[in-house]
Amino acid sequence: MEILASTFFDFGINVQLVVSGLALGAIYAVVALGFVLVEKSTAVLNLAVGEFLMLGSYFGVAFFMERQTNFFVGTIVITAVMALFGLVIHYGIMRPMVGQGFFAIVLATIGIATVIRAVVQMRFGPLEKGNLTALPTGTIEVAGTNIRWVDIIVLLVVAASVAGFLAFYSLTRTGLHMRAVASNIEAAAGVGIDPDRAYALTWAMAIGIAGLGGVMLGHFTPSVNPALAAIGLRAFPAAAIGGFTSVGGSIIGGLIVGVIEQLAGGHLGTKWREPVAFGILFLVLIFKPTGLFGQKDLERV
Amino acid sequence: MSEMTITDTSTSGSSSVKRVPASLRMLPFLVALASPLILDNISWNPFAGWKIVVGFILLIGVGKFAWSTAERDPDDPRLALKLWHRPDQRALTAMTCLALVAVPFVLGTDFDPPMDFPWASWFRIVNYIILFALGAGAFNLLAGYTGQLSMAHAAFLMIGTMVGAHVGLIWGQSFWLCLPIAAVAGAALGALFGIPALRLRGLYLMLATIGVHFIVLLGWKEYLVHYFGFGGVRFNPPNLPSWLHWVPGINPEDGEFLINTQFRWFWVNLTITTICLLFLVNVIRSREGRAFAAVRDRDISATLLGINVARSKLVAFALSSAMVSVSGCLLSYYNRARSEDSFNLEQVLDYGIIIVVGGFMGIQGAIFGSVFFFALPMYFEWMREELPFISDIDFFSRYAGEVDLAIRGILVVVVLVWRPDGLAGLWQSAKNRVLRQFQNSQTGAAQ
Repeated sequence: MEILASTFFDFGINVQLVVSGLALGAIYAVVALGFVLVEKSTAVLNLAVGEFLMLGSYFGVAFFMERQTNFFVGTIVITAVMALFGLVIHYGIMRPMVGQGFFAIVLATIGIATVIRAVVQMRFGPLEKGNLTALPTGTIEVAGTNIRWVDIIVLLVVAASVAGFLAFYSLTRTGLHMRAVASNIEAAAGVGIDPDRAYALTWAMAIGIAGLGGVMLGHFTPSVNPALAAIGLRAFPAAAIGGFTSVGGSIIGGLIVGVIEQLAGGHLGTKWREPVAFGILFLVLIFKPTGLFGQKDLERV
Repeated sequence: MSEMTITDTSTSGSSSVKRVPASLRMLPFLVALASPLILDNISWNPFAGWKIVVGFILLIGVGKFAWSTAERDPDDPRLALKLWHRPDQRALTAMTCLALVAVPFVLGTDFDPPMDFPWASWFRIVNYIILFALGAGAFNLLAGYTGQLSMAHAAFLMIGTMVGAHVGLIWGQSFWLCLPIAAVAGAALGALFGIPALRLRGLYLMLATIGVHFIVLLGWKEYLVHYFGFGGVRFNPPNLPSWLHWVPGINPEDGEFLINTQFRWFWVNLTITTICLLFLVNVIRSREGRAFAAVRDRDISATLLGINVARSKLVAFALSSAMVSVSGCLLSYYNRARSEDSFNLEQVLDYGIIIVVGGFMGIQGAIFGSVFFFALPMYFEWMREELPFISDIDFFSRYAGEVDLAIRGILVVVVLVWRPDGLAGLWQSAKNRVLRQFQNSQTGAAQ
């Protein structure tokens, strides 16, 4: 490991890294959001988040690359299809498994992940596809550094959809029901909220958001390939910094992890990206298990 | 065989007391284990004519012998503490011993099953099953018995491999020295990486151990590049120490006996796995093992029972990690080549699938699970290539790996939804049903 002193304090390079880190972090935030939403309301640790993201990217390949669909129409259709897929997972797998142990349900999500990976490779082949190009590809010069348009658009689209989701979650009546079921299922059922419907909605929204994140990821990465699913693991450090139970915190956590990871990758070498991200996870869990925004009254020790 | 010299001490009128001398109790197992000597001396193709009949008679005879030499004494609580004391347990164990020692001889024949069913390639599968049963059993001790979900499993496989590479290749020591050193290193590092478990539980521990995995992965990559270059490491086949050359069946060439065939590896893997798994089974039956279960069920009530929870958790981590790094060292020597990408997080999930499909709560589950995990793809491959109708479908042959992956994923979900206690639970209930029918028919005949 050699730290290049010349680039370490170079303003332009740092700005570039921070902006691409924010765009990457936005995708992590989307993954973490889907993960935290499911974990918080249904107590299912969804290890298939990465595969859902990859599925979204491959849907992007099918729509934008093979059929030249309009960007907005395609994104909405992909999000809707993924949401339907979330309903299938809830009613087909998760509901019959209610009451089983924690690890059994985790492995069921791994089973789902395996099937998704296999089906994607059957349909699209094992070779990597080029990245999606439905968005403008040029760069823009800001303060003496070149910043990709894709980074900015990804950041804006994710920000807009996350804001829309948070508004739905905290302002509407259905969102209130979802929050009620997440915080106490018996009490929510006692006052007449249908937990099953809230769970189904949670799954649909979490996976719909993952599909949207997948489309954005497909524009952001150099190539769309089955290995994209590994990005799902980054949901964990992001969610840990946010404190696991805070939906808003996971977004900030995702941005922090993205920026730190890009800075570490840029200055120390790319092999340091994963250890740094998961080292943060380890340290946060050891020293501050509630994260930045977590509830303190949860039983943790 | 039921007229053997069984001393029936019918005390206090209870006819259900039966005592058997220790030598007689051991005999069926010794017969089962000694059968390789017979098998080695005759060309044992079990599918040639009368030999298959002899094999079955031997199998049934050993089982019946073990059954009839079981002790019975309702007033002696020490009997129930023995590992195999019930007649059905003894019979099954003896038959399993015989079947296991017969496996390499049967697979070593040039038997060619109908419809091109693969024969010799099962040797590799059997060896992997044995090696993964060891790793999965150790994983199950930690995740199933102590309730500490750790994702640092592949990290300890890497540590075992690093010890094997360093002691065996760089220091040039014997392979047999690598295994205990790997166990000690694994135990020490396991206790170190188990420290987060004192503070975290469940999901949080699982995520913290993912952090451990990536930190060790970085260390592994640096180590490999530093000592062996980018091409990865190649292990030499281990050499059996000369003081074991007297063992029948071992014919050293030029004074050395290299473990370099599937047949020879089978015996090494089977011996080490059996010793380690029996050790784990005995740990589970001891006070330490019951403390693990108490910690899993509720750590606060375990404290009230006088259990040192922190110590129990660290001992569980150390034990499991020691076994895992032994299995990592063995696996690496068996595989011969290891590179930078040999260990990934998916491997931990593979072990997870093995123990949950096999049955979360037992060493038995680890064995059933690894059979499921390795034998099934082999069957699929054969079905895809040879079975009529299925081999005609172009789709299956074109997407072979993907179809296997999809079927495996679907089967995992089906097993989890339909039978949460896994294949071991399925086996137990089937066995109990057969035993009950057997007992019913016996009591019916007596009346």
